Amino acid sequence: MKLNEKYFPYVLLLPLLLYILLFFFNPFFNALKLAFFDENNKFTLIYFRELLRDPRFFSAIKYTLMFAVTIVPLQLITAFLIALFINRNFKGSKTLLFICSIPLAISDLAAGLIFLSIFTEHGFLNSFFYFLGLIKKPVYFLSYENIPLLFTSILIAEHWRATAIVLIILIAGLQMIEKDYIDAANVFGANFFKRIFYIIIPLLKPSIQSALIIRTLFAFQMFAVVIALAGDMIPVLSGETYFWYYIYRNSHIASCYAVVIIILSLLLTAIYLKFLTYKEPVYENI
Amino acid sequence: MGNLLFLFLLFGLNKLYFISTQLVPIEEAEWFRKNVLSEFEKRNKIKVIFLGANYGEFQDRINAEYKAKKGKISLAGGLSSDFESIGEAFIDLKNFLSNLKKKKINFLPFALKYNKYKGKTIYIPWLQGTYIFVANKKALEYLPPGVNIDSLTYNDLLLWVKGIWEKTGERKFGLPAGPRGLIHRFLHGYLYPSFTEAQIIKFDSEDAIEMWNYVKNLWKYTNPGSARWEKMDTPLLSEEVWIAWDHISRIKSAIIERPDDFVIFSSPMGKKGRGIIVVLSGLAVPETAPSKDYAFSLIEFLVKPEIQREILKGTGFLPVVENISFEGLEKGIKKIAEGVKKQNSGKNLIVSFIPGGLGNKQGEFTKIYRDVFKEIVIKNKNPMDILPFYKKKIIKLFKEKGASLPPPDNEIK
Repeated sequence: MKLNEKYFPYVLLLPLLLYILLFFFNPFFNALKLAFFDENNKFTLIYFRELLRDPRFFSAIKYTLMFAVTIVPLQLITAFLIALFINRNFKGSKTLLFICSIPLAISDLAAGLIFLSIFTEHGFLNSFFYFLGLIKKPVYFLSYENIPLLFTSILIAEHWRATAIVLIILIAGLQMIEKDYIDAANVFGANFFKRIFYIIIPLLKPSIQSALIIRTLFAFQMFAVVIALAGDMIPVLSGETYFWYYIYRNSHIASCYAVVIIILSLLLTAIYLKFLTYKEPVYENI
Repeated sequence: MGNLLFLFLLFGLNKLYFISTQLVPIEEAEWFRKNVLSEFEKRNKIKVIFLGANYGEFQDRINAEYKAKKGKISLAGGLSSDFESIGEAFIDLKNFLSNLKKKKINFLPFALKYNKYKGKTIYIPWLQGTYIFVANKKALEYLPPGVNIDSLTYNDLLLWVKGIWEKTGERKFGLPAGPRGLIHRFLHGYLYPSFTEAQIIKFDSEDAIEMWNYVKNLWKYTNPGSARWEKMDTPLLSEEVWIAWDHISRIKSAIIERPDDFVIFSSPMGKKGRGIIVVLSGLAVPETAPSKDYAFSLIEFLVKPEIQREILKGTGFLPVVENISFEGLEKGIKKIAEGVKKQNSGKNLIVSFIPGGLGNKQGEFTKIYRDVFKEIVIKNKNPMDILPFYKKKIIKLFKEKGASLPPPDNEIK
């Protein structure tokens, strides 16, 4: 019976393992194969060479990284502030949390369409400005002619859509912090900012790390919101993958894009893990 | 279970397998089975199995049966270009076609221009689709003075949309340049032939440079939403634009919904002529067809004027035979049918076909026109710096696939 006990955890893990093998590793290796092997199963780099010649490839990298570096910190800050606020446990804080997490339940395409109806020429925002008498003619928020404005519109939409996940992770983290620490800090006269920077943020580091990893990976998968608001005027890596696969019908080059996304994701996750890992503080002389 | 029952019911009945790359979307296929094929089945005591397929499946299946010298498919329906690279697999329909003519089935002349493969007549025309220009009646008062809407030049079109912008401050012209929009068809099948008389071989000529500079100009007065739109019916209905171009299937719902608000006008003319794309599909009988006689009678049935009219009514696909009355059709459909008829009988037509034989590289062909559009028009680069690079790419594509150039390029010496 002892043997059984020893192997029991692995038996429990087996379904998950099978699931990962089937739905993660299987497509992953197929994508690698499509990216590096031609129709006759011979190793080749021609698809990558073609990828490098695609004028949209470098813009896609540029915009994907731009989204990642702007949106991730922005979301982290917003989510942190909302989390601090909700964590004060006032009356109605549960309802507020519920409202803030609604976007979690909305698919990214739907979120894109919601913001499309806000930003478009005859959309809510233009109608609102018109109603206030601020404008006489509709403003083209979503025009390729003003890429910074278009970029900002996408940023706002994506910020709304995906901040909730960061919020939930941070709230869970905040609730794990024992009140004693804060009380002790209060006793020693630490003000609000000192409490945040010396107590809360260091103790929240594990949650921040998971939130950052998840969010950055999401940023590399940004796709439907961009397509809904910008068409293909702002290329991003996942969007190009989709276009190559479904519209230009070249699964090899689509797979090259997927490989690039995987490499970038792995690289950044490794960086986060290296620099943000939470180490138990060593208290001497206690 | 449903399928089993179905097979059981079929037992003992003759079957005819009909593979098609057309009428594949579920609603269209259902409509076609229920309203057209069932009538044929009743008359001929035969069950028609209608198989929808994409281009690749279609070609693989026909090829496989041809090579095995034994097959199930008796009738194949596809775009003119779908047949191009597998022409040897079909029988010669020359005598059958002349019999149809004797029975007073008169095909539109252009529909019989491209159905030859090495001297063989490989298909009988079946359906026709195309792209149209639509204008809201509100735009008509801004037409440049003295210009007839059906004989516009591309320059008139530019003056028209520019005039609207100057008088209303809004850009009321729209093109489907979104990710899945069809703007590439506008570029290679409408503008290129109108300005350069060819789709491909004059890709970087002086005329082409002139054309791209024209597009830059036109784009100034084009609604910027165009970069996002995939089909033009919605922006026409919401009046974000007054003038638009798109494929019939993607624009027709606007005209059907509000037929009195819109007019359809013929494609404008460039200095070489009036470029238009005709999407022609046909019916062919494979060498290995097990029931050729039934296939012949089904073709004959499908090209009857009353059946062609039914198909127009049900799907918006236009007829390929003459003498079809548009009376009694839904107002919007009638308007579309008349508009296309007017366009096809216009002067100086240059008919373009979507290239066949590129197979899985078809998507990359369209990407070239879209990329050039983004480089030159959106990023405002000089056409001379962009075109030669892409010309090499496009020629390579045709060479790699051994595909022949589509009309009108193939007729230019």
